[in-house]
Amino acid sequence: MNMQRPIVFIKDTGATAKRDATREIYTSLLTLLTERGLQDAIQVVRVADIGVYDKGVVAKVLPGGKLYANITPADLPELVEAVLGARDLARLQLTTDPNKQARLVLANCGTIDPDSIDDYIAAGGYEGLRKALTMSPEQVIEEMKASGLRGRGGAGFPTWLKWQLTARQQATPRYVICNGDEGDPGAYMDRSILEGDPHAVLEGMLIGGYAMGSAHGILYIRAEYPLAVTRMEKAIIQARERGFVGERILGSAFSFDFEVRLGAGAFVCGEETSLIASVEGKRGTPRPRPPFPSVKGLWGKPTTINNVETWANVPFILRRGGAAFAAVGTTQSAGTKVFAMTGMIRNSGLIEVPMGISLREIVYDIGGGVASGKPLKAVQTGGPSGGVIPARFLDSPVDYENLGKLGSIMGSGGLIVMDEDNCMVDIAKFYLQFCVDESCGKCAPCRIGTYQLLHYYTKISEGRGELADLDKIRSIGQAMQKASLCGLGQSAANPALSTLRYFEDEYKEHIVNKRCPARKCKALVTYTILPDACKRCSLCMKSCPVKAISGDRTVGYTINQELCIKCGQCYNVCKFGAVKGA
Amino acid sequence: MNAGMATVNYIKVGMSTCGLAAGAQEVFNTLTQEVARRNLNIPVLKCGCVGMCYAEPLVEVAVEGLPTVIYGKVNRDVAVKILDKHVMGKMIVQDYVYEGVPRT
Amino acid sequence: MINARINDILVQVPDGTTILDAARKVQVRIPTLCKHPDLPPTAACGICVVRIKGSAKMLRACCTPIEEGMDIITHDPEIVAVRRSVVELILSAHPNECLTCGRNGTCELQKLAADFGIREEEFAKHLQEAPRDETTRAVTLEPRKCIKCGRCTEVCQDIQDVWALSLLHRGFETRMAPAGDISLADSPCVKCGQCSAHCPTGAIFEKDDTRTVWNALSNPETHAVVQIAPAVRVALGEAFGYEPGELLTRKTYAVLRRLGFKTVFDTSFGADVCVMEEAAEFEERFRKRPTDLPLITTCCPSWVDFMEKFHPDMIRHFSSCKSPQAMLGALTKTYFVEKHNLDVKRIFNVAVMPCTAKKYEITRAGEMYSSGTQDIDVVLTTRELARMIKQAGIDFRDLPEEDPDHIMGDYAGAGVIFGATGGVMEAALRTAHFFITGSLPASVDITPVRGLDGVKECTMDVKGTKVRIAVAHGLRNVEYVLDRVRESKLKGGEPAYHFIEVMACPGGCIGGGGQPYGVTDEFRRKRAEGLYLDDRKHPVRASHENPHIQQLYGQYLGKPLGKKSHQLLHTKYTARPQYIK
Repeated sequence: MNMQRPIVFIKDTGATAKRDATREIYTSLLTLLTERGLQDAIQVVRVADIGVYDKGVVAKVLPGGKLYANITPADLPELVEAVLGARDLARLQLTTDPNKQARLVLANCGTIDPDSIDDYIAAGGYEGLRKALTMSPEQVIEEMKASGLRGRGGAGFPTWLKWQLTARQQATPRYVICNGDEGDPGAYMDRSILEGDPHAVLEGMLIGGYAMGSAHGILYIRAEYPLAVTRMEKAIIQARERGFVGERILGSAFSFDFEVRLGAGAFVCGEETSLIASVEGKRGTPRPRPPFPSVKGLWGKPTTINNVETWANVPFILRRGGAAFAAVGTTQSAGTKVFAMTGMIRNSGLIEVPMGISLREIVYDIGGGVASGKPLKAVQTGGPSGGVIPARFLDSPVDYENLGKLGSIMGSGGLIVMDEDNCMVDIAKFYLQFCVDESCGKCAPCRIGTYQLLHYYTKISEGRGELADLDKIRSIGQAMQKASLCGLGQSAANPALSTLRYFEDEYKEHIVNKRCPARKCKALVTYTILPDACKRCSLCMKSCPVKAISGDRTVGYTINQELCIKCGQCYNVCKFGAVKGA
Repeated sequence: MNAGMATVNYIKVGMSTCGLAAGAQEVFNTLTQEVARRNLNIPVLKCGCVGMCYAEPLVEVAVEGLPTVIYGKVNRDVAVKILDKHVMGKMIVQDYVYEGVPRT
Repeated sequence: MINARINDILVQVPDGTTILDAARKVQVRIPTLCKHPDLPPTAACGICVVRIKGSAKMLRACCTPIEEGMDIITHDPEIVAVRRSVVELILSAHPNECLTCGRNGTCELQKLAADFGIREEEFAKHLQEAPRDETTRAVTLEPRKCIKCGRCTEVCQDIQDVWALSLLHRGFETRMAPAGDISLADSPCVKCGQCSAHCPTGAIFEKDDTRTVWNALSNPETHAVVQIAPAVRVALGEAFGYEPGELLTRKTYAVLRRLGFKTVFDTSFGADVCVMEEAAEFEERFRKRPTDLPLITTCCPSWVDFMEKFHPDMIRHFSSCKSPQAMLGALTKTYFVEKHNLDVKRIFNVAVMPCTAKKYEITRAGEMYSSGTQDIDVVLTTRELARMIKQAGIDFRDLPEEDPDHIMGDYAGAGVIFGATGGVMEAALRTAHFFITGSLPASVDITPVRGLDGVKECTMDVKGTKVRIAVAHGLRNVEYVLDRVRESKLKGGEPAYHFIEVMACPGGCIGGGGQPYGVTDEFRRKRAEGLYLDDRKHPVRASHENPHIQQLYGQYLGKPLGKKSHQLLHTKYTARPQYIK
């Protein structure tokens, strides 16, 4: 069915367009079309987002989807010709596909109704399970090996190997567990999958259960995700009704059923052995490994725990084959990764990219660049277990090994974009506060180490830091990394050590000069009005929420430091750069 | 999400936590009510999170003869506009289309 | 056997050996803190870290088993630096009040700080203020000294199955306390003191009653009497450099007199009395009231408390006998006082026990005042006695040996084996067999009830009946035995067992909560062996053959279970709530 008429989308794609040129071009184009009597022949639409960034005014022509960038009013007549199909406009045309994402695991999210098993089946759902049931369990694991899928919860352990370790145990029964305790602040990839495509997780676990000789699956979902729990429970009921769950599935000898268990507000229960303790009704604290859960897990039986995203990748691997999965990404890191991109980024949200894509493409091509238009300072990955990657490493490929080399980790997918308004001391302090709250308290290095680190960071951010504190931070961090009982403690010092590694000058600025360059650490920020630059517009006085600014248009304005709460509003509103935040 | 021309009519509202937190339930209700009131033959469906969370509530609109588009930051008024202008008037609503949403 | 290398030295160890244990073979004692040789590892402190050669990661030696081909480095500068940092972190959260702490000199954290040469407080101090809990008057909790090693909760929950202690909250706020943050006295605590015996620091400590005793001893008007439990004589020496199990009975009598006690008795005599009463009880039920079988021993006050709280349905099977300590205590203030025409008001009656629960037992019920006043005034643990000896400056090792006061100080071999698990049963059976059949059993050494197996079952032929016996120690093992009793009751017919002995502490009293620190199964075996040796050396093996026992009954009590016995030597039981609201 043909489209009624051509449509032109237009958008000024500059980051901080002080004058949004979208409307100007829109008006010019409409005028031009009216002059030529084409105002009903071509629809012009101002869009909020055109998928391309920092390329001036961009036009997208439908049908076809051709993109033209850096359009000026002088280009409009040619553009109209191009829309009518009369000529090409190669000099302005963007030839590379702006879409850098690869939707494998999120393919159904945003397409299907998660409450409809029919939608899922129509999109190829449960075909992977059907296929797996025609193979032997060993063959299923071979397919997983061919795929190269590594655990998406952060550790990156080869999934096929974990499955094989469990499958080769003698003891029964076996358990498969979905780790839905997603706890990194700002990370919600797993939540989206559980809410948007619950059957993908179920199918993945069914396939895994078949491969590992398990009949019992447990979905451990944090209680703070009630919608995910509801949708998952509904999906299980539907799957049971259709014979995908229960006794003798699809006429085979394979039986499997699910249980949903809720977390209870402990980040540490995302760690495998703590999760197991929680399911067993005990205090959620880790146990020493070995023995690994594959050997002695839940109730002392062989258990495989995988992350939500890991499970959700499995149906694709069985449906299309491991090789199809391995074709995406890199040799060491196959497939895609879902990231939750937040912070100072224009387009914050969830993205799925092939492994090996560069940080630059993620931040600029997908994310639309830094929202403020300021230069990028760093990108933080891996949440409270990760480190910062300064802007100079932006062309690094994103995969498990590379991120590790840079002093960070892939983690579960949190990705925080930072500009000069982010303070590196503050970001480390934020994550340390989180770890202090979430440490289970069992082992001394983490229990006391996180608390001590927070103490020193508070000291530094409040202007009481000493240079000797930096060495203490390093030795505490080292003890935590080497001697903590679980991953939480082992990695809790990463944000601190990483920011210290790359931004030591910023720390010294806090300690020696008692200054916070990003104006985040309130005790180290003083706002003053520069009388020479001040244009006496009084905007600062009007914006101050605590009436700390006084003066008038003749003598100018001053800030009463006793009343000032360091909110930075005056700094933000002053158009003349007359407020100094130092 | 289908890129390109719509062959089957539907309206899909993103109803995962990000959407709901931004007000998707009200958008969904408005669309359902107003579709009924206008006697339009177009189903109002729900879906999960497509990823452009900062632009929620997101509403995907597929109407034959027009490209399938995704509207973002939709509220009651925009929802009504979508029905009047896009579905009935076959004119895409200004200022609310988000092309950057990834298409599979 | 598994082959591995530690510090480039080849070792061969059995499958399942931890790196910590394997390192002993290359003369390395990896520093530990939370690991107690008696308990499975909690893996909490992080001090025992070692590394695989070439790896940047470190792992815990206490809980990691050696694998074939492993190549371990136990120490290098980085490992030592990490260990030191962990010690410093622990110290930064610890009061460091060594000079005024009860564990001064025996504290495991103190030893680590000394070994690591800590000279200054490296990190900022962050203390968790929490009040002391002395509510049980047997075991004192001092949570501000707690280093969260997890031993006490492991012992109380996994080994004793009492679940009085737990860890509350999380992170830095983690605190050792009864669940619900109630007082220990309001919790299910049975005062067994296993927590205090395993605690590395001064966080859990026996209630120190030494000052009360010093005060009494300093009063010239007071006639101080003391009894020592069987288990004390084979463990007291450990505080003075002796091996566990060395029999130091007669030196102990001597040191007690040196301290100022005028009369020295032996609880083993009380045990002989207990045997008389309990064997008679068994004989009566066996002959006349078989539905009241099994008969369950009650010398252990923790066990009695546990039974009253968790298994009150078994009350009618409890022996009504008091413990040997309590019996001897009552007889001291009656039989002894009357025989020697003393003023009972001047008697200060002390018992030295391996046990913290005995401090609770002496005021447990009205029957503990059967003499007209509190039968026993103070209980001291073995650890407290050791401290008193040191405070007095007495050179224990060089003391001559002395006799006890014979009237209630001489005992049969049966009396002294009460200190080991199975000992009460063995002692009672020797006399019970005599009461029922008129002769001793063929072998006085009833070995099937000895040893460290959690539950020991055997049978003994008594006049044609196979008497079924069960001995359990460590409260977790009780459940198995009682469940079998309940099963057999439901079925009707014969009881699963006729006679049951229970000791709360693993190993029996020789492993008691008040004994010197460092108990392991090896210590338990050695201490028990000391008692069995004492038994073998004794000319009189069975309680009823002890001439002083015969005199007691002949001149004073009449016969077992007689009126006087009931007045002084028996007690009652009542169901108690697990949690006091």
